Amino acid sequence: MGTLHTWENLELTRRSKPLELSADVVIIGSGAGGAPMAHELASEGHSVVVLEQGGYFPTESFQFDCTESVRQLYLNSGLTFAIGVPTVLCPVGKTVGGTTTINQGTALRIPRQVLQEWRVGDGLKEIDPEEMSLYYTAIEEFLFVKKADPEVAGNNARKFLEGAGRLGLQGGYLPRNAKDCEGYGVCSFGCPSGAKQSMNVSYIPEAVKKGADVYADCKVTRILTENGRAVGVEGFFKKHDTRQKGPAVRVSAKVVVLAGGTIGTPLLLLRNKLANSSGEVGWNYRLHPVTQVIPIFDERIDPHKGISQSAWVDEFLAERISLETTVLPPDMLAMAIPAACDNHSEVMSLYPYTGLIGCMLRETSKGRIVPGPRHGFYVFYQINWEDVRRMKLANVIASEIAFAAGAKRVLTFMAGHNELRSLQDLKRLKSEKVSSRQFMAMSGWHPMGTCRMGDDPETSVVRHTGETWDVENLFISDASVFPTSIGVNPQLTIMAFSLRCAGFVDEKLVGETDRQEQTGTGISTAIA
Amino acid sequence: MLEKTVREFMPVLLGTPEGLPDPDIEGQTRFALEYLSAGAKEFKPVYLIAAASFKVLAVLLKRKPWSMLTIEEKDYVANKLFSYSNPLLRSIPLLLAMPILASYYRREEVQMALGFDAKALKADAELRTVTRDRDLPPKCK
Repeated sequence: MGTLHTWENLELTRRSKPLELSADVVIIGSGAGGAPMAHELASEGHSVVVLEQGGYFPTESFQFDCTESVRQLYLNSGLTFAIGVPTVLCPVGKTVGGTTTINQGTALRIPRQVLQEWRVGDGLKEIDPEEMSLYYTAIEEFLFVKKADPEVAGNNARKFLEGAGRLGLQGGYLPRNAKDCEGYGVCSFGCPSGAKQSMNVSYIPEAVKKGADVYADCKVTRILTENGRAVGVEGFFKKHDTRQKGPAVRVSAKVVVLAGGTIGTPLLLLRNKLANSSGEVGWNYRLHPVTQVIPIFDERIDPHKGISQSAWVDEFLAERISLETTVLPPDMLAMAIPAACDNHSEVMSLYPYTGLIGCMLRETSKGRIVPGPRHGFYVFYQINWEDVRRMKLANVIASEIAFAAGAKRVLTFMAGHNELRSLQDLKRLKSEKVSSRQFMAMSGWHPMGTCRMGDDPETSVVRHTGETWDVENLFISDASVFPTSIGVNPQLTIMAFSLRCAGFVDEKLVGETDRQEQTGTGISTAIA
Repeated sequence: MLEKTVREFMPVLLGTPEGLPDPDIEGQTRFALEYLSAGAKEFKPVYLIAAASFKVLAVLLKRKPWSMLTIEEKDYVANKLFSYSNPLLRSIPLLLAMPILASYYRREEVQMALGFDAKALKADAELRTVTRDRDLPPKCK
C-alpha cells in the first residue's frame, strides 16, 4: 500500500530538509496520461512515485461553488489564453487527477479513421487498432463507461436530440466514465458525488492501493540525466492555495515518465534543453477549438439540472465537426454571455430558459507553446481560414438544431450574427463570409500535439513507444504525443496510450534490472 | 489601483439585472481582486491596460473627460465596444467584465433567483456515496 501525500500530511510548512526519494519509475503528472500508467506499473510490482503540481481535493470538498473551483483546480485559475485572433481560452486542470477532475466525463474512442491516418501518414504502423481496442475495453470496464442515462441527461440534451432528430441528423447520448451519476451538472468543477470516474477517484487511489506513492503540490523543474539516460527528477513543493514554497525534492529512478500534459511536458523539456534535436518540442499545438450557441426557449430548461455533457451529433465527424451539448452554472455562463450580446443582464435573467450547444472542430490549425519568464509560458495559436469556414458551418448546424428544437432565438459568439431570431437570420449567416476576427469567446479544452510521436527522429519527439528519441528511459505519456488532433474528447485515448506506453516502460524496467545486475550498478550510483 | 478600477467599472459592466438582488460592491470587489490575483501573472497588468484603454476610448467617443461621464454614458461606451467586430476593441469590456460578472453571479442569492440552489444540490449530493464497489447498489437515503 502506498500513500497519497499532501502538503498537510507531509507537514511541509515546518520542513526545510529536501526530500530524497527513489523508485523504479517516477511519473510527472497524475492525469489521464500518468494515472493509468501508475496503476499498471504498480500492479506489476514496480515501485512508482507520482509527482503532481496541483493540490489534492477529496470529493466532499467540491461545493458547487464553481468560480472557487476554477481558482483551485485549474491552471492559472482558468485564465490561460492562446494568443491569436481570436484569443482562445485554454482551460487545463491542475490538481490530482489532472484535467480528468474538471472535464465533462465524455469517454469516446479515437475515430478509426484518425488512427489509420496516424498509421499511414505519420508512420506509426506499429500502433495496431486491435491492440488499442483491448486497452480501450479494459479502461471502459475499469471506469464504468456507459451511455448517459436519458433520465438524468437533462432538458438541454433532450431538446438538442429532439431538434437533431427532426432534421434527420445522426446522434445520441454520449458514453461517459461515470457510475450512478445523478446529473448535478457541475462535472467541470469537481464531481460532488464521486460519480465521475476521474483519475482522482479511480486510477490514482487504486494505484496507491497497489503501492504507488503520490505527492501533490510538487512541481518538477529538472530532469536528471546521465550518459544520455534519464535517471531522475528534481523539483520543489509549492502549496496550491497559498503558493508557499516548500522543500526541494529529488527522485532517483530508472525510468522517468512525463505526463504533465500538452502544456507542461514541452515546457519541462524546453527548460531542460532535452529531447529536442528535432526542434519540434512545443510546436504542433492543437486544442479542438470550440464555440457555443445559446438557444433560448419559451419553456423552462433549467440547464444546470442534468449531466453537463450528455448528447452529441456525430453526423459531421468526416467534416471534422462535432456538436455536443454542455451546460454551465450561472457564474460561468455570465462570464461568456457578454461575448454574445450587449444585453447580458437581460439574457442572464433568462438563464432558466437557456440551453447550450458546443461546436467543436478537429482542426488543421497549429499553435506553439513557448516558455516565459519565472515558470510562465506563452501559447500562440492562430485559427486558419479552413477552420474558420468549418466553425461557421458548425454554428449554422447547431443553430438549425436549436430552431428545430423550438428555440425562439439563438445567441452565437460571432460578431455581426450575435442574435438569430429567425431562419431568415440564419440564412443571412449562411450566405455571408466570416473571418476569424468575428469569433468571440472561443475556447480549446483538449490540448494536444506539442511532443509529437512519429517514426522519424528529425520530425518527431517520441517513438511509437512513447520513449523520446534523444534521451533513453525518458518517456512521454500524455496528449502531447498525438501527431494531430483527434476530433473527439481525448481522455480515453490518452489513457489507452498510457496503458500501451506502460507496457514498454515495464519492458525497460525489466531490462534495466538485468543490466544493473550484470554491471553491478544501481540507480543511486548512477546519480552520484 | 486595481481595486479602484474594479469599483469604478462594476456598475458600468454589471448593468441592472432584472428581478435579481442588488450588487454587493464591497464583497464583490474583494472577490474580483482575489480572482485577478489568482490568474496568470500577466493578467493584472493586462486588466489595467484594458481599463485605461476603455477610458481613452470613452473620452474619444463622448468627447468629455472620464470624470464627467455619467453611468449611462459609460454604459453606452461599453455597449458600443461590445458591438464592434474588431476583436481587440471588443475584448476590452469583455476582459473588464469577467471578474465583475463572476463576482455577482456566484453569489448564493443571485444563483438561487436563477434556479441554481447550490446548497440544496450539495445536500442532495451528500445523500449519495458513489463507491467503486461493483457488487453493491448505490447507497441512497
